[in-house]
Amino acid sequence: MLSAHKVSAGFYMTDTAFIEIQDLHFTRGDHEIFRGVNMSIPRGRVTAIMGPSGTGKTTLLKLIGGQLTPDSGRILIDGQDVNRLSRKALFKLRQRMGMLFQSGALFSDLDVFENVAFPLRVHTNLPDAMVRDIVLLKLQAVGLRGARELMPSELSGGMARRVALARAVSLDPELILYDEPFVGQDPISMGVLVQLIKRLNQALELTSVVVSHDIKETLSIADYLYLIADGEVVAHGTPQMLDTHQDPRVEQFMHGQPDGPVPFHYPAQPFYDDILNHDATTRIG
Amino acid sequence: MDANFSDILARVTRLGRKGSDLLEALGRAGLFLGQSAISVPSREGWRLWMQQMHFVGVLSLAIVLVSGLFIGMVISLQGYTILVEFGAEEALGQMVALSLLRELAPVVAALLFAGRAGSALTAEIGLMKATEQLSSMEMIGVDPLRRVVAPRLWAGFVSLPILTVGFSVVGVWGGYLVGVQWLGVFEGSYWSNMQASVTFLNDVGNGMVKSLVFAVVVTWIAVFQGYDLVPTSEGISRATTRTVVYSSLAVLGLDFVLTAVMFGGL
Repeated sequence: MLSAHKVSAGFYMTDTAFIEIQDLHFTRGDHEIFRGVNMSIPRGRVTAIMGPSGTGKTTLLKLIGGQLTPDSGRILIDGQDVNRLSRKALFKLRQRMGMLFQSGALFSDLDVFENVAFPLRVHTNLPDAMVRDIVLLKLQAVGLRGARELMPSELSGGMARRVALARAVSLDPELILYDEPFVGQDPISMGVLVQLIKRLNQALELTSVVVSHDIKETLSIADYLYLIADGEVVAHGTPQMLDTHQDPRVEQFMHGQPDGPVPFHYPAQPFYDDILNHDATTRIG
Repeated sequence: MDANFSDILARVTRLGRKGSDLLEALGRAGLFLGQSAISVPSREGWRLWMQQMHFVGVLSLAIVLVSGLFIGMVISLQGYTILVEFGAEEALGQMVALSLLRELAPVVAALLFAGRAGSALTAEIGLMKATEQLSSMEMIGVDPLRRVVAPRLWAGFVSLPILTVGFSVVGVWGGYLVGVQWLGVFEGSYWSNMQASVTFLNDVGNGMVKSLVFAVVVTWIAVFQGYDLVPTSEGISRATTRTVVYSSLAVLGLDFVLTAVMFGGL
């Protein structure tokens, strides 16, 4: 049945979508980041959003979380328009989400244990003994139960991200947004993280959105992929569909080729002109 | 002629844009104050407020009290050298008390508070913003305006008037040390002159009103500058400087206005 849907509608039917992004436009300063993005993120699956650096992947997560307001278009989470919610309702909705920030964004005045306990303490009335059990379970899952008394300043970047993941799942949210979860991880914790994201998704039936440009790891866990470039969705489909995609931009990205339609260089005048024909007093040619 | 006209037009446009930017910033700051200061305190809110009272109030105590002591001593010394020429050194207590209660305690305590606590508030909140702690708090479903900003605002509102009282008390005592103990003014006249001339409502009350106004303005500026800054190291350093500069100017300017209304018969 599922495969029939895949064939007929590209992927799952939209009525199973947890997040629906419709005709999203967003501009920062003079730079147009999104021009008409449409996405449908299925419930209970791992959806990866990939694309070259600077295409606004993190911005997209912030738009989904309601931290930024689009110029036009709608973002529906479980049927609720994020930008039409009152401040109170938005904070209520966010309790159902977890977000893993690229930097970890741990609270620097709290130790590891209290960071993970924070969502439980503010949103539940659980007794201390139960909070302790839940926190230790989450820390055990990310392999940092022994680091519970360390302060965030004593952690490495990779460890901080794992603590942040434990914090993001401490309330067992329905949706988790991962912002570049694999950056800066050593091979062992990378493998653990990949497994963890997959397991969390399967065991708790979470909806996961992973923003990343680590192709190998992302392909291994994603059920569905969106590739964005130049403010638009360039391609979307299952990992197999994208791996064999004919579009040269998709091919270039998926296989990490330096030459292709997506330029490696930031727009500039020709290198030859820049080197030879310049005024010695200025930095600009 | 044409070039001149377009030049003027460009200047008017720039001026207009600056004006609208200023109004927008004021609007943002007003909304910010409204959204954060007006919230029902929870039990957790009380705990956070007490914590901030310690950082903002108790830790500012030393600098405020020491400054109060020296300022009281200096007014007493300066006042004595002038009053003694007219044989009016008995009025020293009155002079020390009135200048402290009406002007120096509210103003100097607010300036010290801006430098000691205001700059720290800006830097702390700014760094929380730069390291995405405020964003992550939002995504956990906790409003940073209520959790981070409100306790700091209320701690500032409450602690500066208390610090001002401390400043006045220590200042009067400093004046006593220099005037009575050192320069030999009669102790009875120092205190009785003070008692006879200082009125509670007019002098103590007005001084406290000033202090309360300064507390709101200084804390508001400090916390808003931290929350609204550009999240880079340069942005934090600029915002911290702005906090001290804006707070000092606002305190001195408002002091003149308040004095004119309270004592100038406006």
